Amino acid sequence: MLVKLSHRRSEALSGYLFIAPIYIGFLIFIAAPIVVAFGLSFTKFDILKGATFIGLNNYTHMLTDARLQTVYRNTALFTSISVVLNVGIGLLLAVALNSRLPRLIRNFYRSIFFFPVLIAHTYISVIWQFLYAKDTGIFNYYLSQIGVGPIPWLNSSQWVLFSIILMDVWKNTGFAMLLFLAGLQNIPGEYYEVAQIDGANGVNAFFKITLPLLSPTIFFILVIFMTGALQVFDSIMVISEGGPGDASRSIVMYIYEKAFRTFDMGYASAVAMTLFVLILGLTLLQFALGRRWVHYE
Amino acid sequence: MSVLSQTPAIRVESRLTVRRKSVRVRWGALLTLLVLTVGAFFMVMPLLWMFSTSMRPTSQSFSLPPVWIPTTLNFDNYAEVFRSNVPFFQFFLNSLKITLAVTIGQLLFCSTAGFAFARLRFPGRNILFILLLASLMVPTQVTVIPIFLIMRSLRLIDNPLSIILPSLVSAFGVFQLRQFFLTLPQDLLDAATIDGAGTWRTFWQVALPLARPSLAALAVITFNATWNNYFYPLIFLTSWQNMTLPQGIALLRGYMSSGNPSVVMAAVALSILPILIIFIVAQRWIVEAMARSGLKG
Repeated sequence: MLVKLSHRRSEALSGYLFIAPIYIGFLIFIAAPIVVAFGLSFTKFDILKGATFIGLNNYTHMLTDARLQTVYRNTALFTSISVVLNVGIGLLLAVALNSRLPRLIRNFYRSIFFFPVLIAHTYISVIWQFLYAKDTGIFNYYLSQIGVGPIPWLNSSQWVLFSIILMDVWKNTGFAMLLFLAGLQNIPGEYYEVAQIDGANGVNAFFKITLPLLSPTIFFILVIFMTGALQVFDSIMVISEGGPGDASRSIVMYIYEKAFRTFDMGYASAVAMTLFVLILGLTLLQFALGRRWVHYE
Repeated sequence: MSVLSQTPAIRVESRLTVRRKSVRVRWGALLTLLVLTVGAFFMVMPLLWMFSTSMRPTSQSFSLPPVWIPTTLNFDNYAEVFRSNVPFFQFFLNSLKITLAVTIGQLLFCSTAGFAFARLRFPGRNILFILLLASLMVPTQVTVIPIFLIMRSLRLIDNPLSIILPSLVSAFGVFQLRQFFLTLPQDLLDAATIDGAGTWRTFWQVALPLARPSLAALAVITFNATWNNYFYPLIFLTSWQNMTLPQGIALLRGYMSSGNPSVVMAAVALSILPILIIFIVAQRWIVEAMARSGLKG
């Protein structure tokens, strides 16, 4: 009895020791910062003088902050269009690659579409900045050959967000493709055989079999891409620095600017809280709906 | 009798439909292949432009139409990257140092924690695990301001530790490894205990070697994410001596963009090279790991 008890106690002790490094890190770098950030959002924080409590002032100020509205609108526009394109094209690519192609060809194309996912946004933005250059870029060169343009890809506030979305789709659609390929492999091949016997063609099978059975995967991928797009920063920071004006500034860039350029950390924390609530809501929605979908299957 | 006479007719008819269908399928496959090829062309184009530009002498870096296939292999621009006054090699070393430290640290700490959450009994295990998992929903932009204040009070700004320490905490990594350790048969761990192995030896000599595929998957994802990280270094690393590659490239572009994309492209190519090599060597692992993760690199 005594031996058993001490054994159990030593197992518990090792358990705590085993999780200690991660957990201490979790407390210092995630749990405590959330509490602190929440607290900061009610202060006017000056990096030299420290924090002064100002109640809800930061939150009420947000309601009248025209720049905040602009960056939220930019982020919403970027998120909605880039998610639809990334997920839509990714799905089509996955279905195309999942058709009866020779294995070698399939792997070859999969690699090509997937590789940009692994490259840093920073590098891609540097490359695309040259491609998008108005006078010397190759996009405008080839477009001029067919009589189009020159398009002010990055110089016009009407075009800049669209140009960044195009680049984002180039980089990220391969990730959606990869996740869809994994999802497609879970659909039993017999379904398609039965459908073929019943005379269904490819388009029919896609809408009647692939889409419904893939719906949990689609929803999961939508949420991943939405939470990712809402946090867009690196690519815009490098390719346009949010410009011209604020035309391509995202919500995270605004937080960064407020917190680390003008050191208005109280207000930056309050803005960060709104983003936090948005992402939290999306993730919880995924949990709730995802669970229901799993039951349906 | 009547049944027998009917059968051949049916067979002929079905064979006909099969033949007709196979022709249609082949047309479909051809169309699919065509679309994939056009898509693949657009995927490769920016990277090919990067490579061919990096091979071009400075005087021709803006020449239009671009020469897609370099006629001579000219590595002058690559040498120029290392000769310029921006310490590119130092950036490379800094990136490597941070990436290796984070990857090795995560593998160690996530596997001990994953093992404890899967296999050791201790009070509060489930609630501690759920709390840790909940941190997956917290965007870094929320925690980064308090972490900045922590690092400042520890005098760790512009120190690689300011990047390494927060990056070690990965709820995702703990989750992945816990999932693996749950699959180990209890008999195996019991046998080790009966042989007199303590918890640490059971973990280190029995469980961990079996986790190699999961460890490899986590290593690949962590390496890529850390190598590409831009947001954190941008905030925490301020001197050239400590900066990482993504920062360095953005800087290099600033210093050289006035006339020399060739050298910048050579630097970008060099920065992408490690990722390309890993991708070619470990492609199957990467694709599998990323498909399972559902987490953006």
